[in-house]
Amino acid sequence: MQLFPLVFYVLAAAAYGVHFGGRSPAVGRTATTLLGAGALAHAFVIGMQTMEIGHVPFAGTTQAISTFVWLLVIAYLYTEMAADERGMGVFVLPIVIALQLVPVLGDPGVEPRSALLESPMFWVHVSAMLLSYASFGLAAVISVTYLLLFKEIKAKHLGFFYTRLPSLQSLDVMNSRAALIGWVCLTTGISFGALWAVQAQAIAPDDPRMGAMSIVDPKILVALVTWLVYTFQIVARRALGWRGRRAAWLSAAGFAIVLLNFLPVSYFLTRSHNFY
Amino acid sequence: MHLLLVGISHRTAPVELRERLDFASRGLDTAVMALAERRAASEAAVVSTCNRAEMYVVCEDVERAREDLLAFLCEFHQVSAEDVQDHLYQRVDTDAARHLFRVASGLDSLVVGEPQILGQVKDAYGVASAKQTVGPVLNKLFHWSFGVGKRVRSETALAEGAVSVSFAAVSLARKIFGNLAGRSVLVVGAGEMGKLTALHLKGQGIGRLAITSRTLASAQQLASVVGGEVIPWSDLAPTLVDSDIVITATGAAQPVLTRAMVQAAVPASRTRPLFIIDIAVPRDVEADAGEIEQVFLYNIDDLQAIVHDNLSKRSAEVGKAEMIVDAEVGKFSQWQRSRGAIPTVVALRQRFEAIRRAELERLEPKLAALPPEARGRVDEITRLIVEKLLLQPTEQLKTLPDRETVVAYSDALNRLFALADDSDAATTAKAPVAIPDATPEAK
Repeated sequence: MQLFPLVFYVLAAAAYGVHFGGRSPAVGRTATTLLGAGALAHAFVIGMQTMEIGHVPFAGTTQAISTFVWLLVIAYLYTEMAADERGMGVFVLPIVIALQLVPVLGDPGVEPRSALLESPMFWVHVSAMLLSYASFGLAAVISVTYLLLFKEIKAKHLGFFYTRLPSLQSLDVMNSRAALIGWVCLTTGISFGALWAVQAQAIAPDDPRMGAMSIVDPKILVALVTWLVYTFQIVARRALGWRGRRAAWLSAAGFAIVLLNFLPVSYFLTRSHNFY
Repeated sequence: MHLLLVGISHRTAPVELRERLDFASRGLDTAVMALAERRAASEAAVVSTCNRAEMYVVCEDVERAREDLLAFLCEFHQVSAEDVQDHLYQRVDTDAARHLFRVASGLDSLVVGEPQILGQVKDAYGVASAKQTVGPVLNKLFHWSFGVGKRVRSETALAEGAVSVSFAAVSLARKIFGNLAGRSVLVVGAGEMGKLTALHLKGQGIGRLAITSRTLASAQQLASVVGGEVIPWSDLAPTLVDSDIVITATGAAQPVLTRAMVQAAVPASRTRPLFIIDIAVPRDVEADAGEIEQVFLYNIDDLQAIVHDNLSKRSAEVGKAEMIVDAEVGKFSQWQRSRGAIPTVVALRQRFEAIRRAELERLEPKLAALPPEARGRVDEITRLIVEKLLLQPTEQLKTLPDRETVVAYSDALNRLFALADDSDAATTAKAPVAIPDATPEAK
């Protein structure tokens, strides 16, 4: 099932690559269409699973990744339309494809949910976290292109990126917006997660996962570190004038931590966030 | 019917001669009217820029029209034929169309792909059109050339990238700051290059423009040309702090902006980058100022390297643009050939229509008994039969591959249907005959 959208994403990536190289408007439109088709197919897959089990399938890490990929694609499509700028697609799609490979290769299918997760607060927690990660992913991609363009202009070798990317100023603004949206979602996600944990501990005090629900659990700890990084970015932008390159580095570093939390920590280290 | 172009351009004539033959100086409308009055041509248009003066006409006799155009050129500009003859070029039919398409695409320009020429060709057509000196052929030709110009610009990179130092500076500024509206610009020194760059920036809607120079008078003189406020030389350092873009173009032997001065202008609290364009020789800004994090420093060599780079990228696109022009010339000459068949088509249709009417008239006594509705039906049916009979031959005539074949076919039709001595029949035809639309496709 998860392979279905991946095929579209791979085709779209190829089209974005060709568009980036040759800048033919027709190829660009094809790329957007393919990515839109991928997002629709992905929505269909997620919708089918939702109908099958009666709730959105993102409690388990593997399925959370699939949902995250879908949100990232939608967030990207939104920025592409808002900024009328396709240059970023070629940077976003490798992340999309790499992450979508996880559910494709290790699709556990859908499993019944744990009774513990029967809380609206849990769903707000997971949705907000995934949305924030998608925003951070976008901010990171924008930041990497900022750094590439900055390097070209600074080194006076105007070439590949110079003709294909928007201005440094607009990349900086886009980064700042994506990071801010991500931060708001992350703050919401962590708050609801904490509220839910308190509630769940009362319901199931003997569950070992509930006992592990503390700040020293790697998953929670790294999420808090992520929150600190982005909080610092937002504060530093206003208070210290950390814009442009510094903000870009922070966005890139922040997303590296997000990925770390999403993959190795979720699969191997956490003792609190393993519901399947 | 031939399309003829006679003209001079930067490729064939020195600037002194081009100046003397500049039609625009006395008004394009005057020129095109004077040309149209000579009656050697049925349609006329004049394209005049600082790099070219070209007359496009539609005529029957190319040799006569060419002589007439030369005479007109000499009379209008009061130059002798010997002075201009060697610098003139002439193109006929397909070659004339190709020439205009290349001009409109910027392929024939001094700086390949320069953007203004398409507008100038449009102006030339606009004037001729307003004065009604153009007819079906030039209308088609000029509109077609606008389409070719647009196609080349959108499908190739022929017009991309800045090809002058001042435009290169402006496009860099746009890549750094995005929109330049509201940005503060400081011009240091009153050199010519500084003036050009300041003017281009001004066109981008910048906010504050400050000008300073060691001699107040020259700063004031520059300000009177480009606008902006003059600030005293002693205020250079504090103004630097508030500026986004700095252009230096002084004649000073020593750098006027040291690394320390630039560093002071970008304290850690500064949020905006500082773009310094140093177009002075010797340089006005210490080179290592460019190492400061928020500072982008470009000197004249850097900008010239960009220009050079862009020019070579443009010339790499020439082949692609020529292919587009070739394809369009092919389509245009197809259209032109189809026009060659028009007199024959018209005569043929008139002939058939005349026969139909004559037969209907001959049968009138027999038809008179019929009710009006049935008579109308007879008229309709006979008309449709004639239409159907003529449809295929008309289409074939319009799509003949070359002029010789058109002539041969027309000749054959003239003989077969005795069209040549049919003028009486044609003129006595009571109803006007619709001239078929000879345009093979809507462009």
